[in-house]
Amino acid sequence: MTDVAGPDDPAAVAGTDGDLPEAAVRRLESSAFSSGLTVPDFAACLEIGLEPVALVQGFCVMQWGWYGPGSGFMRGMSPYVAGPQNAGAYSETYRCPHGYVSVEHRMWGQNLEQPWVEDAWAQGYGTAYRRMIEEATDHGAHGVIGVVDRVASVADTGTTEFHFLGTAVTVEGGPPPAGGVPWSTYLAGQRLTKSIEAGFMPVAVVAALASVRIWAYCMTEYLMEGQMGWGMPGGPQLVDQVSKAHMAARQLARKHVRGQLAGDELHGARIDVVGRELSQGDEVIDCTLRGNRVRRFKDFDPVPLPRPTVRLG
Amino acid sequence: MTDLTPEAAGTQPFDLPKDAAHRLEELEHGLFTSDLSVNEFLLVKEAGFHPLGFVMGSSIYHIGIQTRRWGESQELAKLTEAMYTARELAMNRMEEEAQELGADGVVGVRLDVNYYEWGNDSAEFIAFGTAVKAEDGTSYRNALGKPFTSDLSGQDFWTLMQTGHVPQGLVMGTCVFHIAHRKLTQALGSMGQNVELPNFTQALYEARELAMTRMQDEASRLNAGGIVGVRLEEKSHQWGSHTIEFLALGTAVTRGSGEVTLPKPTTIISLDN
Amino acid sequence: MTTGAAAPDLRAELRRGAEALAVAPRPSQARGITSDLSVDEALLLHAAGWEPLDLVCGVAVVSVPVGVWNWGRGAISLASDAHDAAVDQASRALGAECGKVRGHGVVGVRVDVAVRTHHIDVELVGTAVRPMDGKDARGNDAAQAMPFVSDLSARDFTLLLRAGWGPVGLAFGASFVYAPRRTAGTAMKQSTQNVELTNYTEAMYSARESAMEKMQRSALAVGGQGVVEVKVTEGPMSFARHAVGFTAWGTAVRLVAKEHQFVRPEVVLPLDDAVVTFEAESLRGKGR
Repeated sequence: MTDVAGPDDPAAVAGTDGDLPEAAVRRLESSAFSSGLTVPDFAACLEIGLEPVALVQGFCVMQWGWYGPGSGFMRGMSPYVAGPQNAGAYSETYRCPHGYVSVEHRMWGQNLEQPWVEDAWAQGYGTAYRRMIEEATDHGAHGVIGVVDRVASVADTGTTEFHFLGTAVTVEGGPPPAGGVPWSTYLAGQRLTKSIEAGFMPVAVVAALASVRIWAYCMTEYLMEGQMGWGMPGGPQLVDQVSKAHMAARQLARKHVRGQLAGDELHGARIDVVGRELSQGDEVIDCTLRGNRVRRFKDFDPVPLPRPTVRLG
Repeated sequence: MTDLTPEAAGTQPFDLPKDAAHRLEELEHGLFTSDLSVNEFLLVKEAGFHPLGFVMGSSIYHIGIQTRRWGESQELAKLTEAMYTARELAMNRMEEEAQELGADGVVGVRLDVNYYEWGNDSAEFIAFGTAVKAEDGTSYRNALGKPFTSDLSGQDFWTLMQTGHVPQGLVMGTCVFHIAHRKLTQALGSMGQNVELPNFTQALYEARELAMTRMQDEASRLNAGGIVGVRLEEKSHQWGSHTIEFLALGTAVTRGSGEVTLPKPTTIISLDN
Repeated sequence: MTTGAAAPDLRAELRRGAEALAVAPRPSQARGITSDLSVDEALLLHAAGWEPLDLVCGVAVVSVPVGVWNWGRGAISLASDAHDAAVDQASRALGAECGKVRGHGVVGVRVDVAVRTHHIDVELVGTAVRPMDGKDARGNDAAQAMPFVSDLSARDFTLLLRAGWGPVGLAFGASFVYAPRRTAGTAMKQSTQNVELTNYTEAMYSARESAMEKMQRSALAVGGQGVVEVKVTEGPMSFARHAVGFTAWGTAVRLVAKEHQFVRPEVVLPLDDAVVTFEAESLRGKGR
């Protein structure tokens, strides 16, 4: 489903020649390096044997529309039709308990994972990441540290931009990674050296989006507008559909990320959730999970518990 | 001069709210609560005390108008008294809660002032803290027989006890001062010059001294040997820039009977942030 | 802490890591763990004999009936009940996720409560952990015990464990109250006086105490002996400024060792202000 490149996935890197802007090629050819590291991080990296080589970035703007080419609509995806296009995607249906009330009464509701949105996001993220890695490869780098990624949506135009920035480094006296594709990590400086000393080598920065759409049914609509609850037996009413959708979004994000780990571990994970209320209880929940994929390369005995101290002054 | 002794403020009869009584009863059955961080909790235990419960007192006070002369610097005694009384009410209620629990003292006291949009000219004064009790049964109550209060953090409390001193109470002195507006001729006369403004200097100096003297008087009433951690705060509250409240706060301490156990500190040169 | 002769060579460590990546990885059956702990926290947890398992979440949305926030008198019990139900349900969901990965509890929980006009949303995110030898502090095989939920950071969790205490759950309480009103006559009379507004005081004081009391009750309900790190928040609702909400949170703890273990801290006197380091330091002491 996702095509984010990792060092042991050389096939994904092929075919990206000629993708970089001309200005990037010129900048990278100059011999002076620039680096996004702070001074302490820079010094700490030199100490451990990481030589900064260049400041590298990758950028991509994606637009996904509902009706254009490549959209879910055109690919035959529809929330109302189960088929191979959304097989395996999360969905849960809710039926109204009231019987017929009126034509406006929403007798049916559904929580639905939106794989087409997730694919488009993964494509944008992956493309921007690959471009940054390509800039690093051009410089013969072994890895990229201190990665900063920014995903910004412009709601009105339905476009999302993905931007990566990092410092390409080489390992002094070390072999290049498998397939010649540099590894990457969000960490830099002392935090990175601690992680390496504890036995974890960074593999890649990974992220995934889970998008869940809530089509509200009557009970959800009423509860979210406070129309029910007075005098109902059993006390406060949990809005089951919305709660489940939120839980599902977070679980799916973890599932998608785990699918990219291939047995490695994810450290420093961060979850960001954005909920967009559409109307009448309908909502889209976008949950992004990011972290550092790391691989354990040696056993490490636990550090002894540090001594507690009280500072004077 | 208005009588700003704590006894005067505390003579009003007051019943703690019913919810407070329930909550304190639960605490007496052995559950403790505290807003101490884990670090502070462990250090309070090191000092030989056990936290009993989170205690608080509050009072919503309406601060009335006090007329003032535009051109004179003076203390606004009615406002001073009001600010003092309001805080004392909050502190007394907190001490009462601590007394209900049988505490020896309250640490980590915080005094806050809250303003709400629906209460013009009124403010809520709140005092929070954690009531503690000595585990070996010695009484640490102060000269007035009440649990000591102190705004020391858990760390500072432990360190103080190691030096052989015992807190007696949170002492405060307050003074609300109005600073005269300068006459137009005066202002024009000194425009563009580097010059000391004597009436400002005099006014602010006097106000601070008043606040600190009152704080020291409170400490002597507790038979304290000294005050540590004195903080001098200045607030304008909602009165505009020519009226300032000076609040001096500190913890009064006496030398205890215990020996000094503070071990010789290890000197270190810390090489990281 | 330094071992003198065996000071590690950080450059060699890095080269070893780079060599490990130069070969294709062995196929691994391990279920990759995801953790939001920082490196320091993960190391402290290991030092205490625990390990992180997975990032876990619990979310609950509870409806607040319309009209609850209009002007009234006294406590807004419907809002308090809804708030308590939301936190309770979110804790259960979090505990269930923790149980699924066979964790003993969740630490570092980030608590996010949003009170809106018609619903209260609670989100809890934390890391599920378990002791590395599979047993809890009393030596029981803790698979059958209820997972604990705590907003203590991994660092504070480790400190508490070392002192013989263990977290048992999240203690929380909330109460909502309408701001009291004065009659016009009383307002006029009081406008020039310095006087305590006793009915206001009573209302706010009661509401605060009520939130604290609910917190205490919830601590007792999970079997706690005490609550640490109590955080009290208060403020008017952004959508109804005459309604004020008070919440009190903390972690309920229980003595798990026979008695409190004193930590005996060392007193240090730093001789300088913090200096920014230019050297990569090893975890095991100074070394190159």
